[in-house]
Amino acid sequence: MRPLRIDWPEIHRAASAVRLAMPRTPIGGRLGERLGSGTGSSLEFQDYRQYSMGDDLRHVDWSAYARSEVLTVRLYREEVAPRIDLVLDVSRSMSVTEQKARAYDELCALLACACASAEADSRVITAAATGSSPLEIPEHVERFLRYESKFCVLEEPQVPLRRRSVRVVLSDFLFPHDPDVLLGRLARDGASLAVIQFTLRDEAEPSVLGGCRMLDVEGNGEMDVVIDEAAVRDYRERFGRLRLGLVRACRRAGASFTHVVAGAPLREIIRTLTAAAVLESS
Amino acid sequence: MIFTAPLGLLALLAIPAIVAIHLFRRKFPPRPVAGLFLWQAVQRTPEGGAKVSKLPITASLILECLAAFALAMLLAGARLNPAAVSEHLVVLLDDSASMAAVNARNESPRDRAVQRILQEIERLGRGVRITLIKSGERPAVLVGPAAVAIEAEPALKTWKPQEQHHSLAAGLRLARELAGKTGRLFVFSDALPESDVNELQWVSVGESLTNIGIVGAQRTLSANEGKATISLTVSNSSPENVRRQLRLTSDGKEILSQELNVPPKTSSLNLPLPPGLPAVTVALSTDALARDNEVTLVEPRPQIVSISNRLPEGRGKEALDRALGALSAVTHSERPQLVFGPGTELEQAAETGVWRVGFGFTASRMLSGEPADLIGPFVPEKRHPLLAGVTLGGVVWAGAMPLKADAVHPVVSSGNLPLIGLIGPQIDDGILFNLDLQKTNLVRAPDWPILISNIVELRRQNLAGPERWNYRAGEWIRIRLGREPKGKLHFRCGNVERDLPSARLMEFTSPEPCGLLDVMEDNDVLFRLGVNFLDEVESNLSDRTGGERGKPNTLAAGLRAESGAESDPLFWILLIAASAALVGNWCLPAQTRGRA
Repeated sequence: MRPLRIDWPEIHRAASAVRLAMPRTPIGGRLGERLGSGTGSSLEFQDYRQYSMGDDLRHVDWSAYARSEVLTVRLYREEVAPRIDLVLDVSRSMSVTEQKARAYDELCALLACACASAEADSRVITAAATGSSPLEIPEHVERFLRYESKFCVLEEPQVPLRRRSVRVVLSDFLFPHDPDVLLGRLARDGASLAVIQFTLRDEAEPSVLGGCRMLDVEGNGEMDVVIDEAAVRDYRERFGRLRLGLVRACRRAGASFTHVVAGAPLREIIRTLTAAAVLESS
Repeated sequence: MIFTAPLGLLALLAIPAIVAIHLFRRKFPPRPVAGLFLWQAVQRTPEGGAKVSKLPITASLILECLAAFALAMLLAGARLNPAAVSEHLVVLLDDSASMAAVNARNESPRDRAVQRILQEIERLGRGVRITLIKSGERPAVLVGPAAVAIEAEPALKTWKPQEQHHSLAAGLRLARELAGKTGRLFVFSDALPESDVNELQWVSVGESLTNIGIVGAQRTLSANEGKATISLTVSNSSPENVRRQLRLTSDGKEILSQELNVPPKTSSLNLPLPPGLPAVTVALSTDALARDNEVTLVEPRPQIVSISNRLPEGRGKEALDRALGALSAVTHSERPQLVFGPGTELEQAAETGVWRVGFGFTASRMLSGEPADLIGPFVPEKRHPLLAGVTLGGVVWAGAMPLKADAVHPVVSSGNLPLIGLIGPQIDDGILFNLDLQKTNLVRAPDWPILISNIVELRRQNLAGPERWNYRAGEWIRIRLGREPKGKLHFRCGNVERDLPSARLMEFTSPEPCGLLDVMEDNDVLFRLGVNFLDEVESNLSDRTGGERGKPNTLAAGLRAESGAESDPLFWILLIAASAALVGNWCLPAQTRGRA
């Protein structure tokens, strides 16, 4: 197993000023500190309505009754704790190089901290079979970052997402897929969806390397390729089409899309994610 | 270790080829990637680009070299044990009946030959290859060529010598061919060769024995006298008189039983029989050779030739009647099979089945001129059956007319003038005697009855039925059916049954198993004939002897390939090694192969 080397103090320090951005539209969840979409027991007045049997007598507006002899109750806004589903790609492709693995570890840790700051019911999803696992403290995210699977959870037919949850998806998306179908599945019944594509710079913009034997880390074969100008041009074109497909699919699904390049400083990554409204200032 | 096919060692060149492939194979540095599918569309491999580096000693290289080595050794026919080269024993067995003659200990030359052959096989080891050939007019391979030793004993047990006397030359020729340069040749007989032999060992396992055998047998029927007779010729190979019991049976019933005193050498006896009996078996009491003790004889059915003498009254007609009267099985008939008449009768078309003999003038074939009287010399066609026994000595051929060219096929001529001729190419077209019977002295010469007898016998031979009714084994049998066959023709003799060609004339050799021979049309018996051994040479066992002559070819190389690769453990070791190497190389993990 690969040893994890997440510098948690550094991560906490960098993430101290941000939290996961919540959608402005009302969301569902357990009783909490966020405004919900229905009526609840917060102090924020919402409306009046006639008393009916079973209503809490504490909410009867006695002043109004005195004026109109009609029993009227006050309605207050509901306050909920939002649900966050953090979908992590822990397939072997995320550790294709040590640099990519380390950077991905840090990004996951950052998002875990952001989830914690959001005071939400945060869960981590890495495989359909294992379902979603609660993320009680940010450090627990380390348990999931093993990179031993040959498949990404996104390649599975069912992703165990919760209804009306805030969804954050991290992957390099370097597997054959139909972006519209994939994003449609991820966004269905969700409160919001943020897609973060995480790749090495070489994966996005390879350079001329000459002949090499390409070995797929997920065991999908091997191939002798001479990486020359033309091959690089062709690859970039295909990668660009893949990313553009994701961008368009996100737009159609009302999701945000961010491409994070491994090796970028943590502050720059936070800035990028904040700009993409994945994070917000706390 | 030996190699049966050394050229196969050339396959070892595959090993440097494999090493070269491993040495020069294209090696790209491995690069792990996450999304190989993005590269697949741009796959480009260089046309060349091989580079030399240190030879990687990998499992793949070792297994491939091992497989190539093992396969090359297999191709070269590698053998651990030179003894895998088998001795090849070629044995010619004298199949004549005398090999079955038994002595007082009930032991025959055949038994001694079998014993000696089995000893030879035992001495050379069970790996020896053997070829057994039976001698005869048509030699046959009993076992082999180059069969394994275990096949020899069952075949030798079934071998029963019973052939007529024959030369071993044909069998020896076949044996030499089969032996070639690899085989050691043995001949097993009951007599030694007259001259020295080369490159073969002649083993005589014979023994001089006393034997009484029937060497000649004939059954005759005198229709006029109503008598039948069996004439036997008996051979006694001992120097003194021998007594034997003689039995005649017919249809299971004993006709005659008497003690016979057989003098030395050959003697004859006649046994009278009532006519009309079916096949009669004549048997002598048992002695050394059983095969010549018994004959089966069928009563001949006389073939009577119907004749018409149409010559004009005179000395010619009288002379012809006298000559015909001396012949047996001849009858005069209004529907004759043979017509004697004046030459003018030959002018008319012949009836079917009627032979015509014309004497004197025939207008269509003769030229006008004076007849000539000739006293010779006469030029006969000696081989013509019509002239058998005819000399024409002292004959004055009177009244010979000049004939047109190609008018006849001459049988007897004087100068350019044909005196006796055939009207057509066949004798049944007609015979012309170019003479005047009133003037010639031929009718008083001894040749006259002979000529008439020859004509009658020729006609008789052309009648339907067999030429004879009793035959010697191996003799040629000729039967005229006299009509088109109506079904499948075949014959049965003992346990031998053979088909015959569907024709009016059947010709075949009488088979070896003696006894009654039925010529059949489908299931109907057309003719029943007798076939008997009757071999004077084989019956005489006094000159049989034992001994050995010559030496087998000691330079015979023996058989190599025929010994079978599977008998050598090295073959299996190499086969398993090659298979294991190939399977192992195939099953190597793909990554291991790739990085090799």
